[in-house]
Amino acid sequence: MNTYFHLAWRNLWRNKRRTLIASASVFFAVFFALAMRSMQEGSYDYMVDASVSMYTGYIQVHAKDYWDKRSIDKSMELSTTKIEQIDSIKHITLITPRLESFSLISYGNATKVASVVGIDPEKENLMTDLKSKLISGKYLTENSKGVMIAEGLAKLLKVEIGDSIVIYGQGYHGVTAAAQVHVDGIVKFTLPALNKSMVYLSLDYSQWLYSAPNRITSLSLMIDETSELNEVHSKVNNLFDEKYEVMTWPELMPELVQNIEVDNAGGIIMLGILYIIIGFGIFGTVMMMTAERTKEFGILISVGMKRWRLSLVSFLESLFLSFIGVLAGIIVSIPILYYFYKNPIPLTGEMAELMLKFGLDPIVPFRFAPNIFIDQFLTVIVIAMISALYPLAFIRKLNPVKAIRR
Amino acid sequence: MKKFYSKILPLLFLTTVMFAQDAKEIIKKSDELIKSKSSYAEVSMTIIKTDWSRTIGMKMWALEPDYAIIYITEPARDKGTVTLKRKKEVWNWIPTAQKVIKIPPSMMLQSWMGSDFSNDDLVKESSLINDYTHTIVGEENFNGYNCYKIESIPKPDAGVVWGRLLTWIAKKEYFQLKVEFYDEDDFIVKSYLGSDIKEMGGRTIPAHWEMVPVDRPGEKTIFDYHEIEFNYKVKESFFSEQNMKRVR
Repeated sequence: MNTYFHLAWRNLWRNKRRTLIASASVFFAVFFALAMRSMQEGSYDYMVDASVSMYTGYIQVHAKDYWDKRSIDKSMELSTTKIEQIDSIKHITLITPRLESFSLISYGNATKVASVVGIDPEKENLMTDLKSKLISGKYLTENSKGVMIAEGLAKLLKVEIGDSIVIYGQGYHGVTAAAQVHVDGIVKFTLPALNKSMVYLSLDYSQWLYSAPNRITSLSLMIDETSELNEVHSKVNNLFDEKYEVMTWPELMPELVQNIEVDNAGGIIMLGILYIIIGFGIFGTVMMMTAERTKEFGILISVGMKRWRLSLVSFLESLFLSFIGVLAGIIVSIPILYYFYKNPIPLTGEMAELMLKFGLDPIVPFRFAPNIFIDQFLTVIVIAMISALYPLAFIRKLNPVKAIRR
Repeated sequence: MKKFYSKILPLLFLTTVMFAQDAKEIIKKSDELIKSKSSYAEVSMTIIKTDWSRTIGMKMWALEPDYAIIYITEPARDKGTVTLKRKKEVWNWIPTAQKVIKIPPSMMLQSWMGSDFSNDDLVKESSLINDYTHTIVGEENFNGYNCYKIESIPKPDAGVVWGRLLTWIAKKEYFQLKVEFYDEDDFIVKSYLGSDIKEMGGRTIPAHWEMVPVDRPGEKTIFDYHEIEFNYKVKESFFSEQNMKRVR
């Protein structure tokens, strides 16, 4: 067996130029496929990460039916031991409790519907970086009795720091929740939907206001390793019975998943076109190599070389060729992609503004993960193997007499 | 023969018309029995859910069809809350915040005081009498009362969500004892059950009403009328924002 490898390897370097050109075509193909995938998947990772840390978290725990009904009546009471148990699960970095409800916010003659959220101010800040969105006033503290209101909503109501607004809604089990609270801070969100609807209270105060002592509607979890999502999810799920639901971000934000899927479909078509080009490149080189060596094959067969041995050697040759190209492609891409992974390309102009509007930083992020490399590696090798079938067929049908006479 | 056509045929028509009229007449009578141009009532509403329940006491002033004020007397935390209905609009007076809030359109479908009724239900005007075509489909004994069983099918242009209603009306006394609401696929959605017949405000009517949503077993909303006064003397000016803060 060793001899065949040896032979194939030597054959490859008998004509250096041919080999280099062939593997260069594979190299560029791999490089571009890698860059494209890394960029595309990088932007998905970024979108997910940004959306997840904007509000939902990677995993959320609710009482059963809360997600459908969004009613404070479907809130839950979690013991501290339960929370400690969740905390002890590997990869979970942050646990953020919230008590969410829709209520009317009224100031002067204006009344608006708002999403009123009771938060643990410090944890919320760690997760969503809320403090950085504060544009005036002060950030909530654990037992403050004021509110933080989104800038857009404040504008609609014409509310300023120090004014008192009325929160009026329905508390736990139909109790009326009504209170006059002063505005402590104003936060600005880039996303208009949030900017026109968010009102934050401290968790304690909102639990009092909504007559829901110790109750929360959701527990958001952040993890440090996206790939461990399902693993962590099942571990968290094991801690809860069927009176609860533990949901992951794709379930929490199905529209995001859909957006990604649609975009990804386009990317995959591009990738497919790239693969077809790679395929023809490799196939063309293999065909040329075979045609060039018709005479050589003829002579070898005439002097008694078994056809299958010859086939094996030429099969190995095209395999080596692709390997060289793929490996070179990967080796060159690793530092480049790593660089862009660490230093995403900044965007400017209209595109940048558009992204800012959606609350995203205007950058082109890259993904740097083994799966991208493995995927490209395997695909190109498979294409190479399919192309390598050509010399096999050629050798099997070769007529040595005709071949030598050529 | 000519005589037959000119005399008997119209008579035949007349009888069918009379039957239809009859069903409508019965519905009308029963509707009038519990309504008057103006009224005052003391009611307690009990909301029963599978895992909790809650009773709300209220006083209601109404001037049909556009005006109503509801003053909450119970539970203590909500006492003093007032809801004012003027035409299509709803205001709330919140004593704890000393503020009148007009319910914005987007909140009209939200539940009112945690009940199965929405704000919209308070202002929605659908006329049982005129929006439906009524026919007597049978006579039945219900809870010891001889009843007409009347089927009401909404007229095509009526803005009604129901597919049809079945109403049991006592033959002699004309009060409604049961109403079943069917959706467009003819599945029963909810039913009203009236009982505890007694004399109130000079009329004999059911004082205990239960609203049972069929798709949510274990849940219902109960109304108990403690006092009702028909043709209560009240003026339109009574139903004002200023007065919301004063009534009790």
